[in-house]
Amino acid sequence: MTTSPMDTTNLSAKSALAVDIGTTITRSLLFDVVSGRYRLIGVGTAQTTAGSPKFDVTEGIWRSMEELQYFTGRTILDEEGVIIPSTQDNQGADIMVATMSAGNPISVVTVGLLDNVSLENARQLAQTSYTNIVSEISLNDRRTATDRINLLTKKRPDLIIISGGTNNGATQSLLSILESIGLSSYLMEESQRPHILFTGNEKLQDEVKTGLEKISKLHITPNIQPVLGYTNFSPAQKELNEIYNEVRRRQSGGLREVLSWTDGYLTSTASALGRVIRFLSEKYEPEKGVLGVDIGADNTILAAAFHGEETLRVFPNTGVGGGAAGVLERSSLADIKRWLPVKMSDNLVRDYIYNKSAYPNAIPTEEDHLEIELAVAKQALRQAALDTIPSLEKQIDSMGILMPAVEPIIGAGRILTEAPQRYQSLSVLLDGLQPTGVTTLALDQNTVLPGLGALAEINPLMTVQVIESNTFLNLGTIIAPIGVARPGTPVLRIRLYREDGRMVTRDVKFGSLTILPVAMGEKVSLHLRPLHRFDIGMGGPGKAGKVNAVGGVLGIIVDTRGRPLQFDPDEEKNIARNETWRKTYQKYT
Amino acid sequence: MATKVKHYHELINIKRERVVPVEGDVLVRRMQKVSPTDVIVVANMAPKFLLIDIAQGLHVSPSKADEYLHRKSGEDLVRGDIIAGPVGVLKRVIRAPQAGKVRIAGEGKVLYEVESTTYELQAGMEGTITNIIPERGAIIETRGALIQGIWGNGKITYGIIQQVSSDMLQELVPEQLNIGFRGAIIIAGFLRNPDVLETAGNIPIKGMILGSMSSGLIPQAKRADFPIMVIDGFGRKPLNKAAERILNANKDKNVALNAQAYDPFLGNHPEAIISHSTQTDLATPPETEALKAGKAVIIVNGLLASSIGRIEKIHPQKRILPSGISTEVASVNLSGKETVEVPLTNLEVIAE
Repeated sequence: MTTSPMDTTNLSAKSALAVDIGTTITRSLLFDVVSGRYRLIGVGTAQTTAGSPKFDVTEGIWRSMEELQYFTGRTILDEEGVIIPSTQDNQGADIMVATMSAGNPISVVTVGLLDNVSLENARQLAQTSYTNIVSEISLNDRRTATDRINLLTKKRPDLIIISGGTNNGATQSLLSILESIGLSSYLMEESQRPHILFTGNEKLQDEVKTGLEKISKLHITPNIQPVLGYTNFSPAQKELNEIYNEVRRRQSGGLREVLSWTDGYLTSTASALGRVIRFLSEKYEPEKGVLGVDIGADNTILAAAFHGEETLRVFPNTGVGGGAAGVLERSSLADIKRWLPVKMSDNLVRDYIYNKSAYPNAIPTEEDHLEIELAVAKQALRQAALDTIPSLEKQIDSMGILMPAVEPIIGAGRILTEAPQRYQSLSVLLDGLQPTGVTTLALDQNTVLPGLGALAEINPLMTVQVIESNTFLNLGTIIAPIGVARPGTPVLRIRLYREDGRMVTRDVKFGSLTILPVAMGEKVSLHLRPLHRFDIGMGGPGKAGKVNAVGGVLGIIVDTRGRPLQFDPDEEKNIARNETWRKTYQKYT
Repeated sequence: MATKVKHYHELINIKRERVVPVEGDVLVRRMQKVSPTDVIVVANMAPKFLLIDIAQGLHVSPSKADEYLHRKSGEDLVRGDIIAGPVGVLKRVIRAPQAGKVRIAGEGKVLYEVESTTYELQAGMEGTITNIIPERGAIIETRGALIQGIWGNGKITYGIIQQVSSDMLQELVPEQLNIGFRGAIIIAGFLRNPDVLETAGNIPIKGMILGSMSSGLIPQAKRADFPIMVIDGFGRKPLNKAAERILNANKDKNVALNAQAYDPFLGNHPEAIISHSTQTDLATPPETEALKAGKAVIIVNGLLASSIGRIEKIHPQKRILPSGISTEVASVNLSGKETVEVPLTNLEVIAE
């Protein structure tokens, strides 16, 4: 078992470089002390070179740092590479961290005893990284030992995740599956033998070591579910991150060089995002959760944390670039088209999505094409949210379809940060996630979250101060009550008190999207009284309350369209409704 | 800004690695000339194993079972061979249910690899073996024309190319296909009618190269028995002029069509290779090139997708597109006609 090579805090580090090697873009960020506090100094970007034809991440890093040097005027590179630590004349940086999401997902076979218990745990663990579950093995599948061996030798996965058995549970059933795994590993060529991550019954650890250590790349972590009703994914998640790094090192050149620059500190982008969200949930408003989302070219990531308990989900082949076709294949054309504010033919939408998957770097030239990309982003996020909500620490409905109250929601990804209008970024987050209660939607406009997540372990103060330096763009405060009423029925009475003493009262009707024009950064106080037993998250249905809010780019948005959002089966009516909402946004943009 | 290079070449040096993902027997040698259908490696891609529980079969303990075991690792078995026993009054024995080779024997169990069909990897193109990759495959080199596609249905073939119509924007309809295309790799502009795939399969044709295809046909195209390669993408768009020129110049010639799935990370493209017998020394084109004035480019997204032109100028200032996005653009002259502004991200260089 490996541990993080840099697990001691390094508060003396004044400046830091954070590199994120994304599917299409590599970013280099420089953080340093300005006026006694840590700040983001600059960002450089370049195309990622992890895959064909270079298969070497260093060129992309190098070019992104060249751009960073150009923008900041600071020398970061010399002939030998990145200048670490910084010199007396302020060249280079004191520390460097790297995060990575580029590359095809790693193939995984999950193994457990029962489908809905241990196999589900193995599945959830796999979903915390960039994986593709190619098959599953459990006692329920009625496969013989021969079947299991043939399955594993045929699939040749990069990783087998074994979960199952509480620490006092049965051992024989799991041992019989382990035997098949051992035999199949033995039968594979040494170079093709999978990593095996054992996260099951701790009483079996010695037998697992004896049986599998010599014929596989074995990793053992504490049991995910040591007793019934309690799960702890953290140690296994950390180990999975190490395995991810090892697999990536085999696929892309230059990572050894990166490891030498970062003193071994390389983590997956998803893992770093999860860490910073957990960090934020511990630091701010612990009674509410924090949610971070990243809609990438190939993958969508959701990270939520409540009281420091993190839920991380990576959805591979679900994005707005290469993963756009994956969104379509996992849902349906109708699911994507329901977000469009203009009429378009099925063929046009589907053809555009497949072309975008083939050319993920291409950008939409036409307004309609941009609308298709925004619709894909909304659907990617909607799918991801619906898949993640049931496993969140906090639930607010028995069906597990409503997003519990979180504060804030931070969005990242080029579709959000590079959208021409801020309302477009906001509407992707609002429609895709459908938050409830009162929350703030913020935009990680410089894509600092992964870097800050990686840095949080080394220099938490840097993470805190950079976050506090207005690095995120406040898109708006969202007020979204839960309840059902006939469209047009008043469901929320709002009294908005401004700092100068002025007060506005508004009755908001069901089925509408209302924007309260509050200037960016303006502090207001809101008295919210739900009508018809609508729930605004103030302690139950019909309960009123007072909250302080700050105006975002779009002020304060009152979303009484219902949770979950309902769609009209008539496409024309749906388009008309989307267009109405778009015009509402545009009026205040 | 550097961008990927799109490969449409009339004559170029082509080097391809043809390997299997597991250990296999390489059947070719260095400098050997191969044709597309020559087998270069045989490998057991999905070996089948059988685990026999001797102890359970003989009704004895696992440690005791090994005393009755007659086979050891590496031994060949034919169907009916006694693996273990006899035991007891009834003289219980365990026999091999199929022929195979013992891989592991002991602790009351025998695991053996049963005979299964081996996979034969064909060269897929004409050429010369320039390097052997031990137990995996070989590098094949040839000189000829190369046309890269953007989508393939994962199949591979070799045959004569035939054009269905000279109009490369025209939609391919079932009525255009007849027995004259039997065994040919057909070239057509645009496909959206699923009946074409059925008709083509009945003739049968050997393969299909399309300028564009409706994405609604992807499921049927994946199921087709013959390879299909799409050059310019989805939705009706004309076959780009560079590819059209090469295909026209090579009518009735043999083409190796490898309609492998496109994988941008690994750099695998579907492609058509038409080998030429020339001894001229040719350079291998680069995989990335910088966008700059004078470069031939293809537009890969937007209303002008698949149009070919030449960069006149890269603008230093960003432009706002009709979509509202602000980005760097280049002025591209479309084959000596109009000049349009195109985002740099929507251009790929055509190697010349």
